[in-house]
Amino acid sequence: MKAILVIGLLALCSFFWVNIPIPFVVPKGFPPPVYNFNKNPVTKAGFDLGRKLFYDGKLSIDGNFPCSSCHQQFAAFATYEHRLSHGFNSQFSYRNAPALFNLAWQREFHWDGGINNLEVQPLAPMLDPHEMAESLPHVIGKLRADKQYSALFSKAFGSPGISSQRILRALTQFTVSLVSADSKYDRVKRGEAAFSQYEKPGYEIFQQKCAGCHKEPLFTDLSYRNTGMEVDSTLKDYGRMRITGRKEDSLKFKVPSLRNVYLTFPYGHDGRFNTLSDVLEHYNTGIVQSATLDSSLRKGIPLSDNDKFYLIQFLGTLTDSFFVGNPLFRDPGQNRR
Amino acid sequence: MRLFAAILRRRRKSGCRAKSPGISGFSELRPEGKAPVPEKTIKYEPETLLVSSGKSFFNSKRSMPPAFRLILLLMLITGISSFQNISFSQQTKIQATAPPNLILHFKATVHGQPLQLHKNYTNPFGETFKPDIFRFYAGKISPAINNHAALKEFRGGAYHLIDFSDSPSTTVRLRVPEGVYDEIHFLLGVDSLEQTSGAQTGALDPARGMFWTWNTGYLSLKMEGTSPDSKEPFHAFSYHIGGYRFPNRAIYNMNIGTDNGQKFRVNKENTTNLTIRIELDDFFDGAMPIHIRNTAACTTPGDTAVRILQNFAEAFTGIEIPGSP
Repeated sequence: MKAILVIGLLALCSFFWVNIPIPFVVPKGFPPPVYNFNKNPVTKAGFDLGRKLFYDGKLSIDGNFPCSSCHQQFAAFATYEHRLSHGFNSQFSYRNAPALFNLAWQREFHWDGGINNLEVQPLAPMLDPHEMAESLPHVIGKLRADKQYSALFSKAFGSPGISSQRILRALTQFTVSLVSADSKYDRVKRGEAAFSQYEKPGYEIFQQKCAGCHKEPLFTDLSYRNTGMEVDSTLKDYGRMRITGRKEDSLKFKVPSLRNVYLTFPYGHDGRFNTLSDVLEHYNTGIVQSATLDSSLRKGIPLSDNDKFYLIQFLGTLTDSFFVGNPLFRDPGQNRR
Repeated sequence: MRLFAAILRRRRKSGCRAKSPGISGFSELRPEGKAPVPEKTIKYEPETLLVSSGKSFFNSKRSMPPAFRLILLLMLITGISSFQNISFSQQTKIQATAPPNLILHFKATVHGQPLQLHKNYTNPFGETFKPDIFRFYAGKISPAINNHAALKEFRGGAYHLIDFSDSPSTTVRLRVPEGVYDEIHFLLGVDSLEQTSGAQTGALDPARGMFWTWNTGYLSLKMEGTSPDSKEPFHAFSYHIGGYRFPNRAIYNMNIGTDNGQKFRVNKENTTNLTIRIELDDFFDGAMPIHIRNTAACTTPGDTAVRILQNFAEAFTGIEIPGSP
């Protein structure tokens, strides 16, 4: 009986007093993360606060556009089935919303790499008049007026106060924890599962024809490449050139990860490809030649229908059901049972 | 905690399965009848995110001897108190700083007349303009002597946002070592280290309106207003000058001398006041003449931004030492 009391007391103590640190665990075979955790170590309270903010409409001007409105867990935190996402006042976003996972390994964010640190990434959608259309002072004011938030910020950061830095760091504690590394592919790599007769040849074709840019285990080399997609005349999106101002970067976009690729359609920076077979057909026959076209794509990537079938079977093994169903990443408002 | 425990419990239940999520869009390449929908097993692996100590701690409670339990409790309590000590000592550290002994006043003029926002002025090209916003970053400010480098202790120094809509911000108070000096060094803009290190606070808080969100970076200078000569919407002119990537680095190492090379003394007890002059005539009529009718907007990093900032650097015309001729 005494033992139970002591343990209970300990649990209570830790629940109310200690903000439990959550160590970041690098999945087997993954490189070391590039995010600098020193200034913003992930804690239970910080993570919980970040998750609450991620799902809170208060971060948008009219309350309707939390981060999660465009980054849906069941779509691996991309926007399910939308070329462009919807923002404030029936406006479209500029590009296809990227899926959010394994962000700890990324130095730059956005299709054009314009964001140089995960912590400042949320400012882009929050302040974009087409997306959440807010201003920082206004968001801070709304959160300060909410008593619940004052307590949560105190708990997460050890002293009272709500600032832009704390909002951004809390959000980062949530987003940096979105690690997807438990797909069938990962289990095969760990020796816990085997590829099917369809997936195995698909993996071989993948290694031969795709892995140069979609490098394992992140399934992206995080470089910027022109993959021969014609400029859309309405968006006029020249990709990375917008950031660097260099002609050489015209039409280059970041290589997206293929993890969870079944869930993140439509594909491409403007979501022009509806299905994976559309994407593969683009590499097979649809490459548009231009000065900055990636040298590996000058002749396209010849793919037979068989190749495509097997490839798509393999890509299915990259779906991480644990990740998209993980209750820790769910809307905290829907988590009580 | 309860949630973590629930997940741990569930993990032990074997054979917990879920449907493979939405792959309906890709049926076209699947062979008829076979449809090998990969059956995905939901596996709850707390190692990926959960506190690893939580599991072992709760599982091992039965086999733990009471004495050991007591020691653990003591350790936890001391752990908690030391945790709090750390945060308290950090707070007291900040208060223990000496009073300022060097005060810099940034004074902006147009054609020799003190600048006031929301008032009409004429630039050297005869264009009328009305500034509404005028602010810039001055970082790592340090006195120096005889063209020597800035004092070491200021190389990692603070940033100041000089904002002419907030007059107290145009006065910067510093604590510097005793000595005789004839120059002020500072960084016009924000160094690349601070540009790339995530969410900042204080003068570098992105809420201060000097931050690009879509192309991360701090502006070095923001000047906005209206002019009948501007062809932009609402006859606005806006110079959002910044950029830290080469070759479009719009950040300037400033090195301003006193008028006539006069020296000024800073000692421990008294405060020395200096006035740093900014003449906007020189901003417009600089190395790259800025005609509002041609260049009313520059809001992205690039060659134009670099040259506009160079003009602004040239607009710092000198340092006045009050009380001297």
